[in-house]
Amino acid sequence: MTDLPKRTLDRLPLRWVLMDKIEAFASLVWPAKCHRTTGWLFLTPALLLVGILLIGLGYMLEYSLHELDLSSYRLKDAYTLGNYRYLLEQPVYLQVLLRTLLAASVVTLATLTLAFPYAYVMVRTSSSAWRKFLLVSLFLPFFIGQVVRAYGWLIILGKEGIINSALMSLGLPAMDLIYNYGAVVFGLVQYMLPFAVLLIVPAITAIGEDIELAAESLGANWLRAFWHVVLPMARPGLVGAGIVVFTLTMTDFAMPEILGGGTTDFIASAIYDSFFQLSNSGLGAALSIVLVTLGSILVAIVFRITGAGTLSIRQ
Amino acid sequence: MSTADNMVEIRQVSRAFDKTVAVNRANLTLAQGDFLTIVGPSGCGKTTLLRMIAGFDEPTEGHILIKGQNVESVPAYQRSIGMVFQKLALFPHMSAADNVAFPLRMRRFNPALIPELVEKYLDLVKLGHLANRRPHQLSGGQQQRVAIARALSFNPDLLLLDEPLSALDKKLREEMQLEFRRIQQELGVTTINVTHDQREALVMSDHMIVMDEGVIQQSNTPREIYSRPGNRFVAGFLGVTSMFKGSVVAIENGALSVELGTVTLLARGNEQLFSVGDVIDCALRAEQIALIDTEDSRYDNSVSGLVRQRIYEGDRMVYEVQVEDTGGSSVYVFDHDPGKNGEHDVGASVRLGWNAEVFYAFPVVEKRVL
Repeated sequence: MTDLPKRTLDRLPLRWVLMDKIEAFASLVWPAKCHRTTGWLFLTPALLLVGILLIGLGYMLEYSLHELDLSSYRLKDAYTLGNYRYLLEQPVYLQVLLRTLLAASVVTLATLTLAFPYAYVMVRTSSSAWRKFLLVSLFLPFFIGQVVRAYGWLIILGKEGIINSALMSLGLPAMDLIYNYGAVVFGLVQYMLPFAVLLIVPAITAIGEDIELAAESLGANWLRAFWHVVLPMARPGLVGAGIVVFTLTMTDFAMPEILGGGTTDFIASAIYDSFFQLSNSGLGAALSIVLVTLGSILVAIVFRITGAGTLSIRQ
Repeated sequence: MSTADNMVEIRQVSRAFDKTVAVNRANLTLAQGDFLTIVGPSGCGKTTLLRMIAGFDEPTEGHILIKGQNVESVPAYQRSIGMVFQKLALFPHMSAADNVAFPLRMRRFNPALIPELVEKYLDLVKLGHLANRRPHQLSGGQQQRVAIARALSFNPDLLLLDEPLSALDKKLREEMQLEFRRIQQELGVTTINVTHDQREALVMSDHMIVMDEGVIQQSNTPREIYSRPGNRFVAGFLGVTSMFKGSVVAIENGALSVELGTVTLLARGNEQLFSVGDVIDCALRAEQIALIDTEDSRYDNSVSGLVRQRIYEGDRMVYEVQVEDTGGSSVYVFDHDPGKNGEHDVGASVRLGWNAEVFYAFPVVEKRVL
């Protein structure tokens, strides 16, 4: 046996010495017997954030129960369901609600349909150049932001935009490509695509390539392997992506404002108008509560059907 | 020359990737009902060969025939081949029974017959009572059995095994080797097994192929390959083998006299490959060496050495002996009865003896048939 060099403090690298000092200090402040609660300690800030949100929601609920006093433009003191009654009586709000839900459904369906092949190719391609290209294309829009992107679409799709200029130079009549439902849905799908792809990628990565080869060797052609094996196994990712896209669309404000140009208001636009155009915070709060409730119910139903295992949470 | 008796026939098959040749002009024929094991180190091309037979990859040259039919243009899902994958690749969202039923549904078996077939094959692998379990509710060995049942339920012409046992622990692996063999013989299904485990190859197969660097090195029965290795690679790959470097000093009556270090010993080798003065490698298996006390006329060769290491393995004692006579190289020696033969301490000097017929001489520069 050869003698090991003796451990002496001056021989240790400075970084180790510093770390040891910090650890010693930390164990004084936070002794080992407290370590069981460390996890909870780190959870506190997040819990506080959620808590503050809940307090805000409580205030909203409270506001929504007071009607606006038109003489003072303040909320009356009396509790009433008047704001909710008003929402039911005015067909325009139901219309906005249905328009929002329809858009959310269409956008979700379209986004998932486009995102799945994108994610699939990105995971399965053997060419790393392709993978990088797809990844960069996916992230590029993230750096631009929703509002700028919407304006970008105005430049391309507008009355005097690139497409219409091209059409007119060919002697064709200009088209209304903007300020309509289609434009809003189009803009939203384009906006949601990266979110959906990023949520589906891990689900597809989790399906080993062997699984697909096995399906093939057992007699399934590409379509059957996809339908019976890949799609069911990717379901958690699809459901997760669907929920995110649906709720983001349902609460979206910028796209309907800019690409809809006031023709296709979503609930968020109506809430904005109630607060800042009509100065009716009671009505705006009531609309917000309707939106939150509706969203929560829909997500709850999806979880009920698919199970919370969708989010890889142990049940 | 194609005969219908051959289930699989591989003719001059090569697979080249960008820079490497994974499989180089492989030839093999496999009769109906045979169990073939392809064994070799990782990267030897055995898995590529298997994938080409399965239809997941195509040869860059040559032809693959199944039942006498060229399968080049037949996609994997139309070949009648069951495959058990290394990672099993069971479908996690289906029960064991649904996994076994999957190929029957995909291959459009009569739906009325499917439950009966599923039951039959789950019983065959002794899993009838666990039909409704999902894969994650089954143990490793049970998942293995589901994978076998799934690969066999549609009565394929050919069963391919892509190292499915490599992930199991030793005891379970040995149990499953016998189980695979039992099922294979019961059904008489032609099987190709790929493994890097030489024991598995020896235990399970009727026929064995040793591959290295994309080339089939030797193809024969396990017994024949083990007892008559065809080249230096095969000799070194199978068993616990020690190699000696030396040169040929005489060739007479079918035996080679070889000079290793300071001693001249008798070895066995193909006379046509050698001439006097050639540099050679001589291979010797650990179990062929005897620990002897003094000169023992029963052995053609004997040398003396020093015990460097002694390892007790329960059923045997393994000695690493440094042999000064042959230039100081180390050899491994098994003693299967240490109680009777007496133990040798580290540092003790011992004498080793072995016969010429188990001392294989190979040319150092291997002439591969390309």
